[in-house]
Amino acid sequence: MRMDTVIMGGGLSGLTCGIALAKRGQRVAIVASGQSTLLFNGGSMELLGNIDGQAVTVPLEAIATLPQDHPYSKIGASRIGQLAQEAQSLLADAGIEMDGNADRNHWRITPMGVAKPAWLTLNDHVRIDDLSQLPAKRVALMCIRGYFDQPNAMLAQGLRGLGFEVEMKEFTTDDITALRRSPSEMRATSLAKHLVSNSALQRVADQLNSLAGDVDMVLMPSVLGQNDTTDIHNLQALVKKPLYLVATLPPAVAGMRMQAQLRHYFRMLGGTYLMGDSAVSGTIDGERVTSISTAKLTDMPLRADHYVLATGSFVSRGLVADYERVYEPVLGVDVNADADRERWTRFGVLEPQAYCRYGVATDDQLRCLKQGKVIENLHAIGSVLSGHDAVKMGDGTGVSLLTALAVAHSIKGDK
Amino acid sequence: MAERMQICNLSENNFEQCTKCSICTTVCPVAAVTTDYPGPKQAGPDGERYRMKDPAYFDKTLKLCLNCKRCEVACPSGVHIADIIQQARMRATEGHRASLRDTLLANTDLLGTVANLVAPVANATLGLSPTKLVMDSVMAIDKHRTFPAYSRQKFTTWFKRHAAQGQDAYAHHVSYFHGCYVNYNFPKLGQDLVKLMNAMGYCVHLLDKEQCCGVALIANGLYKQARRQGRTNIDSIRKSVTRDNRVVLTTSSSCTFNMRDEYPVMLDIDNADVKDSITLATRFIYRLVDEGKVKLIFKQDYKRRMAYHTACHMQRMGWQLYSILLMRMIPGLDLVELEQECCGISGTYGFKKENYERSQAIGSALFKSIEEARVEAVATDCETCKWQIEMSTGLPVENPISVLADALDVEATMKANGVVVSF
Amino acid sequence: MVTSDIYKKEYDVIVVGGGATGAGTARDCALRGLSVLLVERNDYSTGATGRNHGLMHSGARYAVTDGESASECISENMILRRIARHCVEETDGLFITLPEDDLQYQQTFIEACQRAGIRADRIDPAEARRIEPAVNPDLIGAVRVPDASIDPFRLTVANLLDARLHGAETLNYHEVEGVMINQGRVEGLKLLNKHNGEHVEVRGRVVVNAAGIWGQRIAQMAGVGISMFPARGALLIFGHRVNNMVINRCRKPANADILVPDDTVCVIGTTSDRIPIETVDDMRVTREEVDVLLKEGVKIAPSLATTRIIRAYAGVRPLVASDDDPSGRSISRGIVCLDHAKRDGLEGFITITGGKMMTYRLMGEIATNAVCAKLGNTAPCVTASQPLPGSEGDGADERDAATRRYSFGQRAAIGRHGSLAARIEKDNDIDNALVCECEGVTVGEIKYAVRQLHVHNLVNLRRRTRVGMGTCQGKLCSCRAASLLGELNHDVKGAQEDLAAFLDERWKGMRPVAWGDTLREAQLTASIYEGLCGLDQAVSLEGKEDMQ
Repeated sequence: MRMDTVIMGGGLSGLTCGIALAKRGQRVAIVASGQSTLLFNGGSMELLGNIDGQAVTVPLEAIATLPQDHPYSKIGASRIGQLAQEAQSLLADAGIEMDGNADRNHWRITPMGVAKPAWLTLNDHVRIDDLSQLPAKRVALMCIRGYFDQPNAMLAQGLRGLGFEVEMKEFTTDDITALRRSPSEMRATSLAKHLVSNSALQRVADQLNSLAGDVDMVLMPSVLGQNDTTDIHNLQALVKKPLYLVATLPPAVAGMRMQAQLRHYFRMLGGTYLMGDSAVSGTIDGERVTSISTAKLTDMPLRADHYVLATGSFVSRGLVADYERVYEPVLGVDVNADADRERWTRFGVLEPQAYCRYGVATDDQLRCLKQGKVIENLHAIGSVLSGHDAVKMGDGTGVSLLTALAVAHSIKGDK
Repeated sequence: MAERMQICNLSENNFEQCTKCSICTTVCPVAAVTTDYPGPKQAGPDGERYRMKDPAYFDKTLKLCLNCKRCEVACPSGVHIADIIQQARMRATEGHRASLRDTLLANTDLLGTVANLVAPVANATLGLSPTKLVMDSVMAIDKHRTFPAYSRQKFTTWFKRHAAQGQDAYAHHVSYFHGCYVNYNFPKLGQDLVKLMNAMGYCVHLLDKEQCCGVALIANGLYKQARRQGRTNIDSIRKSVTRDNRVVLTTSSSCTFNMRDEYPVMLDIDNADVKDSITLATRFIYRLVDEGKVKLIFKQDYKRRMAYHTACHMQRMGWQLYSILLMRMIPGLDLVELEQECCGISGTYGFKKENYERSQAIGSALFKSIEEARVEAVATDCETCKWQIEMSTGLPVENPISVLADALDVEATMKANGVVVSF
Repeated sequence: MVTSDIYKKEYDVIVVGGGATGAGTARDCALRGLSVLLVERNDYSTGATGRNHGLMHSGARYAVTDGESASECISENMILRRIARHCVEETDGLFITLPEDDLQYQQTFIEACQRAGIRADRIDPAEARRIEPAVNPDLIGAVRVPDASIDPFRLTVANLLDARLHGAETLNYHEVEGVMINQGRVEGLKLLNKHNGEHVEVRGRVVVNAAGIWGQRIAQMAGVGISMFPARGALLIFGHRVNNMVINRCRKPANADILVPDDTVCVIGTTSDRIPIETVDDMRVTREEVDVLLKEGVKIAPSLATTRIIRAYAGVRPLVASDDDPSGRSISRGIVCLDHAKRDGLEGFITITGGKMMTYRLMGEIATNAVCAKLGNTAPCVTASQPLPGSEGDGADERDAATRRYSFGQRAAIGRHGSLAARIEKDNDIDNALVCECEGVTVGEIKYAVRQLHVHNLVNLRRRTRVGMGTCQGKLCSCRAASLLGELNHDVKGAQEDLAAFLDERWKGMRPVAWGDTLREAQLTASIYEGLCGLDQAVSLEGKEDMQ
């Protein structure tokens, strides 16, 4: 099967790259082995949140100071602002409504009430532009009875620490109570499936309206809007006070929705999305990849001019660590990782862990290497890249979006 | 080998590759409509650890699983969640007797043989309200269900009378596993396949012996019979592949998935040597076109707007791509690709009275999206999806092979492929 | 009783150490009518009690080398089946001979077992493969013995519960800082209350030192010398049960030669290394230990090579030098009970040590006998016949419930708490909701544990309920449980710190085996708790280790 570009990996970076190429008229196939880590996303994109434990205020400035092996440095710090704008409009085109800008981080509120630097946040999620000027003084935190993936008390405590006056209120509706009959399945995503009809939303709104009291803002967990934001907007319209959502523990509704929106947009642009299939091997002839075989298409390999590795880190199986080594399992391209297992990790769960920085080795155009030689038509994007620790730096989604766009440009031969 | 495995220590126990990320729970159509079902994570990898400790941890609600495999498609860790659940069911119920209703529903070929003989009567009887009420109350087959109409003439009878003789006239040869649906209910699909293949210069042959693939037998716990029939089928398929050098084509995604993927997992039938030679016709044809070996020429005046529904098992195989790409080759066909949602029927599941409401609730999102697509008809590769969508939306549903056959300009195609029939 | 009242009272006996031995001694003393206080510096069963195989020896392992220990084992084995039914799984065990082993040893072994009163049936290798499919198929000989698996956490808690039911008081997180001695007689202990940093005193007529390897320090504080020889053993936990019977190597005891099915997992161990006494608090497993365990474990059950390892841990056996040989060359694995009045001229002080987790009851009986002799108490010991709380009755009701009426969480709870599971709230949907999905721990079970089983933090909770002990090692459940604990204890900040400490404790065990799916798991957990939630910004882990 012949394509212009084959992308291995259907998460944030793969879809972004696929959309950018499909928009430019390419025939693109994305091989997606299951759902992606977007489902753990709390509704924000981060360009760069922290350097050495210090919160970053102006990401573009901080990016200019990053070491050479950071993916941003490879793209070129001077291009980041432009690519960031492009990413923001691509997300908007896919129907993902986010606010923020790359010149100055704002703060997102985590499920535990911590303020973390962010670049873009869904416009229905709570965010703070300036910690000294909170968007509201008195806040009603609405907790859903029997829902445990929102640590409400921690969240309230965190919000109070930021200077909000917080009143915690617990509520339920018939729909929610019915769902709690399942011992295991009362999750954010299950609630989102049940809180869709106008009557179900009205019942939630009635509760929020009667409990909210005299507050400036009502917060509730992000358990609405599995396919699009209609349910959220409908509820916002029914609630008398400004209503904003707070991220929950995963699987996250907002992440699930973003994944679906991007996939839908990619399909609309004529892209081929092979859901639940995975790239298992490829053939390399000299300096070029000539085909990719997948688990399901078996003896009908995918052929293209360009290939993009967007398979993610260990958690997504884009990298594999066995007892003795770290490797890239599809094409066996070079990785940057310590040879000695003892150095992959260290005791102390909150310490920086070396394995988080591991990934494939690339040249400065993000092309993969095999035994030190550049593979001309194979680029790597997103979490499979080495040179940054998304957990500690808060740059995972930014790297995914921006490397995807940078590679899409270079595939199209843009300058 | 042992030395090497020890060094790698990567788990070969599929269920423990689960990282408990819970993504599977977001796509389960059953858990979405009932709190009785514990969801794929709990029923699958979580429960499995406890069942390994003590089989008494088997939970009866596992039978609510549709086996739609959507959890497996969504799983980022490659865990065969639905297989784990189905195997647990099998371990817990093997040897139990299935009810008369389940046995009847499961034996699609037996039901078909009888019904074909008395097709006019059967169709009338199965459609009559009093009969439906009896089936509903006595047999627990839901009264809302319309049994698919039975054909007067079996596909195999038609094939032997009208097609078999001419089949040696072409240069290339394939076998066809038609399945119960084509044989008893809808021979036209088989005829369409023969028409299409012949136009491309391919002869179609039946297998030495074909029995129902057993997908419904497995779903209803009749494992022994399923195993027996499965072995017969794989033997016949093996003969076709090794003796006659003929690939075996299919037109039903469920039969295909069952024979390729479920036989080894559920029935312990080794099909490794022939698995790659069992293929949906759309995949086979797409490949020929893709490799430039055949050309398809479609009618100039063909004009239609259709939606394509990816059957769950089709999605699990990842082959919807071929049906879609082939249909997109038809110039006059405006094809809407629907979001992948389960229709809720899942073979015989939705026919059972106790499942009817759940079945319709599961399918509601799909029915809505079909309605919104404003199409004249729907295409899908699965016959039970076809019944469900026809019943629930009122729109006609066709197999992509029939769509292709209808749109095909036979003469032009034959000419383009240099097919000369020499009788 | 409130804690401050405990400080004022004078007890008949104070037991130092909240492991199985301390708990068993406290129970025995309480059942004989003594007033008892048990003090533990950390949580219950944090020492060697909770850091072994969870194997209920038949005694066969010691039959050849130590007949006395073997006899003790089989007799305690049979007793525990009766009194601790809900902590025991009657799996039976195999002693297998591999081609590299000497088959002659088998005969020696069987004869030694017979001498010790242990049933030992030689079975055909084919039969061994049939009854335990996980066994190395190359085996050339097999003997079946009445080994079993036992949950030491449950066992300890059941003993403590019964001790308390009979009037005993227990204090965890109280560390001994000094022994109060007056005119050659121990009168009590100086303690540090680790919850609040307060220094307090408790009084008793007799102090029983049941502190395991830490007993040497306690003795030192009392001015008497005991030579302990810490023997460290590391073990690996696999993600699920590959075997349903205990499998041992039929040869002289060596490294990694026992594989035990424990609840939902199986455990291979142990290594055995003599370590300096100063290092007994560092239980981090090394790469070398992991390598040895894997290499040897695969010989017992080849499928271990391709089974996920979820964590590694280590414990220290409190071996004691025989009193007549202070050099330490002759070390006993048997039970050692020292009356320091006779030995050192110090009245009111008894040390009970040596032995094994599974002979805890006998150790308790021996220690209590010594206490009673001092106090003139003549009540007989009943611990061998009186069932522990949770193991009353024959369990028929529970089995019935387990297979028919109950949800997964309720069934799992019955497996853990036996008849006491009836006390777990399950009347509403919220109490039935699962917190830990891997191990089936409900909100109700957590409430029960917090209210009845002395739970102060998540690690305590894990030991009582298995929260966070499944393959994901606490992915979502640790946050759910932390919130619940914070709510029940009215301490949100504490709950958040506790959550971080719990994740750190989990990582301590995962890190030595962090490759494959275990590394994926760790990365996902990090991205959730640090990336998504910012837990690392909310709390600091410094100085938190002591509370585990």
